[in-house]
Amino acid sequence: MMLLVLGLSFAAFVALSFAMEKHQLDLYGKAAASTARMQLWRWLGWGLLTAAFALCVWRHGWALGPVWWLGAMTVAGLLLAFGLYPYRPRWIAPLAWVLPVAGLAAASLL
Amino acid sequence: MKNGFRQSMAWLHTWTGLLVGWLLLLIFMAGTASYYREEISRWMRPELPRSTVSADQAAANALAFLQHKAPQAESWNVSLPDTRNPAMRTFWRNPESMVKPPAEGEKRRRRGGGRFGDATLDANTGQEVSARETRGGDFFYRLHFDLHYIPVIWARYIVGFCAMFMLVAIISGVITHKKIFKDFFTFRPQKGLRSWLDFHNVSAVMALPYHAMITYTGIVTLMLLYLPWGVKVAYPNDEDAFFSEAFARMAEVEGPAQGRAAPLPIQQLLDSARMHWNGAEVAGFVMHRPGAANAVIDIQQRDGKRLTIDTPSLRYDAVTGELLDTSPGAGAATRTRGVMYGLHLARFADWGLRALFFISGLIGCLMVASGVVLWAVKERPKHAKSGRTGLGLRLVDALNIGAVAGLPIAFAAYFWGNRLLPLQMAERPAAEANVFFWAWGAALLAAFIWPKRMMWAWQLYLGAALFALIPLLNASTTNAHLGASIAAGDWVLASFDLCMIAFGAMLAYCGWRMQHWQPPLSAAEKKRRQQAAAEASA
Repeated sequence: MMLLVLGLSFAAFVALSFAMEKHQLDLYGKAAASTARMQLWRWLGWGLLTAAFALCVWRHGWALGPVWWLGAMTVAGLLLAFGLYPYRPRWIAPLAWVLPVAGLAAASLL
Repeated sequence: MKNGFRQSMAWLHTWTGLLVGWLLLLIFMAGTASYYREEISRWMRPELPRSTVSADQAAANALAFLQHKAPQAESWNVSLPDTRNPAMRTFWRNPESMVKPPAEGEKRRRRGGGRFGDATLDANTGQEVSARETRGGDFFYRLHFDLHYIPVIWARYIVGFCAMFMLVAIISGVITHKKIFKDFFTFRPQKGLRSWLDFHNVSAVMALPYHAMITYTGIVTLMLLYLPWGVKVAYPNDEDAFFSEAFARMAEVEGPAQGRAAPLPIQQLLDSARMHWNGAEVAGFVMHRPGAANAVIDIQQRDGKRLTIDTPSLRYDAVTGELLDTSPGAGAATRTRGVMYGLHLARFADWGLRALFFISGLIGCLMVASGVVLWAVKERPKHAKSGRTGLGLRLVDALNIGAVAGLPIAFAAYFWGNRLLPLQMAERPAAEANVFFWAWGAALLAAFIWPKRMMWAWQLYLGAALFALIPLLNASTTNAHLGASIAAGDWVLASFDLCMIAFGAMLAYCGWRMQHWQPPLSAAEKKRRQQAAAEASA
C-alpha cells in the first residue's frame, strides 16, 4: 500500500514536470510539446495526486491519511528532483509506469 | 532595510537563518534521531531480552514482582513492553512515612530520597534485569529542547528563540523564492553557487509542509512556558488546577488505603478496557492503593490510531471491576493542542510513516546545513577579490565545518561511548553525554584552527569511519551483533546496525566530493578551452 501511494505520487510529479517547458527540453532536447498536450499532463498530474490522497484517506482515515499523503509526496519529489532529473533522466518515464504498477501488485498480493 | 519587499525578505531570510543555523542543526539532528528514540534505547541496552509473552502475561508478571518488591507502596506504575522496545518499566511511590529525612546540611532531600523506586523487568519472567546504565535515545530527545549542561529553563528559551527564527526564515524564504513553482523539480549539480541554491530550495520546498509543521508545533509544545501570562491571570494561585482542567485529566486518587482484598485478575481488567475501546491495545496502567479493599486501577490506551498526544484512560475499581471514571472529553482548544503536540512527536506513526517522518527530518537537517554553507559560498568571491579571508567568513567557515561535519562525529561518538565505557562506571549516562560533547568540541576546535576545505573532507571521513565501524564495534563488544540479530529475526537491532553503515557510506561520499572538488570554470575559461580543443583537432 505504501509503495502504491509512493508510486502514484511519483507518477503525478512526473506528469506535472512534463507539463513544464523546461523539463520537456531537459528530456527530449527539442522544442516543447503543444499547449494542449501540456495541459493534458497537468490534468493527469493533479488527477494522480488526488487519487493518492483518496487512497491514503481510505486506508488510514481522515486523521492519518493526509499525513501519509504529504510524506509520500515529499519522498517522491526528492527522488525525482535530486536523483532522476540531474543524474538518470532516461529512467523517469519508465519508472513512472513501473512504480505504480509494482505498488498495485504489492498491494493486491499482501 | 533594503529597498523592495522581496529584497527585504531576502535580507531577513539570510540573517535569521544564519544567526541560529548551527544550533538549529543540532536541534534538527537530535530531533530527527528522536523518531527512533525507543529503537536507539534498545540498541544501547543490548542485554535486555525480547518479550515473547502476551501483554496480559507480562502485566501479571509485573504485578507479581511489585507485590514482592514494594507491597507497601501507595501506587505501582507499569508500562508494558511493545514491539519497539521490549523493556517493561515499573516504578512505585512509597508512603511519606518511609521517606528518609534530608541528610545533614541539605535543604531538600536528594532526588527520590526513598519516595520512589523503579525497576526494569524481563517481561517473560518478571525478574529485574540489570542492563548497562544509559539514557539511550532519551538523550537526543532531551537534547533537542533542553540542550545540555545549562539550566532547562534557559535552554527552552534559547530553543524557542531558534524555533521562532526558523519560522521567520521559512516564511521569508517562501516569499524570497521567486520561482517556487518553476524550479519545483530543478536541481543543477556541478554549478557552484547555483547548485547550492538549488539544493537548498528543493530540500526546503519538497518537505515544506513538514518543515512548517515541525517548527510551528515545536513552539506549541512549549507555548505555556513562552506565554504564561494568560494562565497566571486566570489561575493566580493554582496553576495545577489549570492543567487538570485544561488537559482533561481524571482527578487524582486521594485518601488512604482501607482494608485488604484480593484484586481481580489483571487480564480481566485489561480485557474490560479493551472492550470499552473496541479492541484498542493497552500501553500500561497505574494501580493505586494496591492490595487494599479500595484499590483502583487507571488503564492507559496505546498510541497508534489518533493524531493527538492525549491518549484516553479508564479507571476501574480493581476489586469489583466496576468502571469508575473515564478521562473527560477535552475542549476544542485542548484538542487542537493535543493534535499539534501529537504531530510533533509522531507517536502514532507505524514503521512506514515513521520512516517518512525520519526522511523528512533528515531533509530538514540538509536544508539547514545547505543554508549556512550557501552563505559562505556566496560570500567567498568577494573575499577572493581582496586576496584575504575576512574574519566573518572565517568564523562562518569554522562553525559550518564544526556543525555540519562535526555533529555526525559527535552522534557516532555517543554510540561508541555506550559500547566502550566500563559497564560498572559511576554516573555512566552522564559520561556518555560527555563523550558526545568532547567529540563535538574537538571537531569545533579543529575547525576553528584550520577552517579549510581539507578540514571538511577529514571530518566527513572521520564521521563516516565512526558510523560505518559501529556494527564491527557492536560485534566485538556484545552478543547483539548483526550475525545474531538477523538470525533471530530481531529487525530493530539489525536495522540499527545497517543504518549506521548507510550513514557511514553517505558521509564518505560527501567527504569524497569535498576532497575532489574543482572550482567550476568561468564562462570565459570554458570558451578558451573549447577554442583550444578545436584548434588542436583542426
